[in-house]
Amino acid sequence: MTLTEPAIADSEAAPAAAPESSVEPSATSSMLAQPFVTSEGAAVGRLFVVVSLLLALGTSVIGVLLSLGRTEAVAPADMFAGLNAYFRMWTLYRVSFMLLVVMPLLLGVAMAVVPSQVGAGNLAFPRAALASFWSWLIGALIIVVSVFAGGGWGAIDGVTGNENDAMALTLLGTGMVIVALLLGAVSVATTVISLRQTGMSLLDVPPLAWSMLVAAAVWLFTLPVAIANIVLIYADLRGRPAIAFGRAESPDIWLQLDWLVEQPAVYIMAVPVLGIAVEAVGAAVEARSSRPEAITVIVGLFGLLAVGGWSQDYFTAPQDLRDGLVYVAFGLAAVLPLVALAGGAAELVLRGSKTPDRLLDTRMLGAGAALKLLGAAALVGAFRVIEPLDLLETTATWAVFHGVVAAGLIAGVVALRNWSHELLIRPLSQVVGRGAVALLLGGGGLLVLSDFISGFLVDDPDLMALALDGSAVLNVVAFAGSVLVAAGAAAAVVGTVSALRPPAEAERVGGGLT
Amino acid sequence: MRTTALPAAEATRPRTVIVGVLLATGAVFMVFASLVAVYVQQRQAARAAGLEWFPEGTVELGPAGMMMMTLMLSMVTVQWAVQAARTEDRPHGLIALGVTLLFGAAVINQFWFVYQDTAFAIDGGRAELLFYAVTGSFIAMLIGGMAMVAVTTIRSLMGPFGRELAHGVQAAAVYWHMCVLCYFLVWYVVFITK
Repeated sequence: MTLTEPAIADSEAAPAAAPESSVEPSATSSMLAQPFVTSEGAAVGRLFVVVSLLLALGTSVIGVLLSLGRTEAVAPADMFAGLNAYFRMWTLYRVSFMLLVVMPLLLGVAMAVVPSQVGAGNLAFPRAALASFWSWLIGALIIVVSVFAGGGWGAIDGVTGNENDAMALTLLGTGMVIVALLLGAVSVATTVISLRQTGMSLLDVPPLAWSMLVAAAVWLFTLPVAIANIVLIYADLRGRPAIAFGRAESPDIWLQLDWLVEQPAVYIMAVPVLGIAVEAVGAAVEARSSRPEAITVIVGLFGLLAVGGWSQDYFTAPQDLRDGLVYVAFGLAAVLPLVALAGGAAELVLRGSKTPDRLLDTRMLGAGAALKLLGAAALVGAFRVIEPLDLLETTATWAVFHGVVAAGLIAGVVALRNWSHELLIRPLSQVVGRGAVALLLGGGGLLVLSDFISGFLVDDPDLMALALDGSAVLNVVAFAGSVLVAAGAAAAVVGTVSALRPPAEAERVGGGLT
Repeated sequence: MRTTALPAAEATRPRTVIVGVLLATGAVFMVFASLVAVYVQQRQAARAAGLEWFPEGTVELGPAGMMMMTLMLSMVTVQWAVQAARTEDRPHGLIALGVTLLFGAAVINQFWFVYQDTAFAIDGGRAELLFYAVTGSFIAMLIGGMAMVAVTTIRSLMGPFGRELAHGVQAAAVYWHMCVLCYFLVWYVVFITK
């Protein structure tokens, strides 16, 4: 018996009625209208999950093309009709994986699962949550269209007049997406703070709900800084080329925003991954942590180390900030909570049922894979801030990014298996789940490895690390990694689409261990 | 002897609307604080390089001080509205909300005067660009606060004015106070220390 069981029982009534209603014509039209009018947090969460997985597929295909451009098979300039176009895709790939894939995917999971975990009937501000989905989707479309129309976040060889207008549109889309994610995060955080069951203290909430509360707090501290950057960039675009804050580099728009996809801010995507991993392991082996308060502290500490608005170096001399003690301490310390959490997950396995089918469950494999990739990313991040290794402005930056993104995608797959009932879908099949996890782990691992080793090979790479002499083999490895990630994303999409039917009671996987 | 067991008191939770607005207000404050941080950093860098930030005499303190006074008065009136909602006093509540809106409009009017007075061009240089970015963002925030107060006023005109509305008025007041705090930063950083 868990504290969350009564709420789960309440939520079971809704999916049971859905299959019958789908045969009625009026019910069919109401089903079509549901995405526009629903006030169910779970339905909004499902919208976020499905659309972000589709965008994951598109983004990973861009990643395959970009990594192909790093091999000797095709010149980068020939890949997308010029180096400027390649740069646009290079930046879109990074922004998209963060703001259009991993963060909304995990936010969607939280919107569906957190209310039942804390005993709330529904998400706080469900209509605001729906508004957040639609403004996020419109913002995402604006970003994609404007980037393909010649916009993006700067240009390698200077900004022309037409590009200027398209870039303003890209900035608008980016701002909309960030505001939408913040609105969704406020909904989830308010649910945990204000709508949890009587008698449940904040320290008693399950790991996913706690990790999402921490993530929302970190997002609220970090993402608004990016909005301020966007305001300045937009004003700067109006005054270009007179101002540009005195920087000589052409792609200076990107240089004002790149801190968001670099450590420590890149870890803001990963905070909910910790909660999902712990709960998935516990559910797979049917065990509870003997020290739940330790999990709470670990997740909180990781969230603290992910606050990253302070780390942008565009307005200061980079060496002043990134050689500073605080930056180095954040980079090194990020490893500790992940090691501690891996210990917590291992304790769950030791205490739980260790039959082969449980140990090979998608949730178990996925949680392990997500923690391994996140740990690898944090370890590379720790090496990156050690000054004598000289890895700061190298591809090691993208090793951290790829590790976090792959971990986030795997956590999404795990959530689709563990909380299918809350997400109003059928459970992701074991075969598809294991396949997606294996592909994403393999692809993410290869990307982390190749980017990390490439970082040692070149002292002063260009911004996109295209001229990496002596790393031809590693570029091929990175290409293989990108292909595997795209295949993993495709498997997740196929599995999700085939599961897009309300679940039967017998198909429930979570077993109340939320 | 029979004893009566009293039910345990329900744990008090902060009100949902106020928690949500507090979180959103924190995010808006972070946007503004980031802009002010860049402003201060860029001004520091310009001065370190021996450059002039604003030409002498272009940015006057008088109108800015008047705006500060106006906003401080608006803090009183918005709290007056909160108190009126608590005591279900519709006439005072409507007057307080109306006067708060009037003060907000007065500040926007005074900013218009400041823009005319300084006559900066947005592409005139880093100082001018940041001046417009910081003050323009504040005006956008203030308009957001006025919209919240206006919605509360309309709701109070259309329905009962009482405890049901009090949380909405409190939420609007929380946001309004944050706006005034942000203006205090503008007043000190942009207009006093120039």
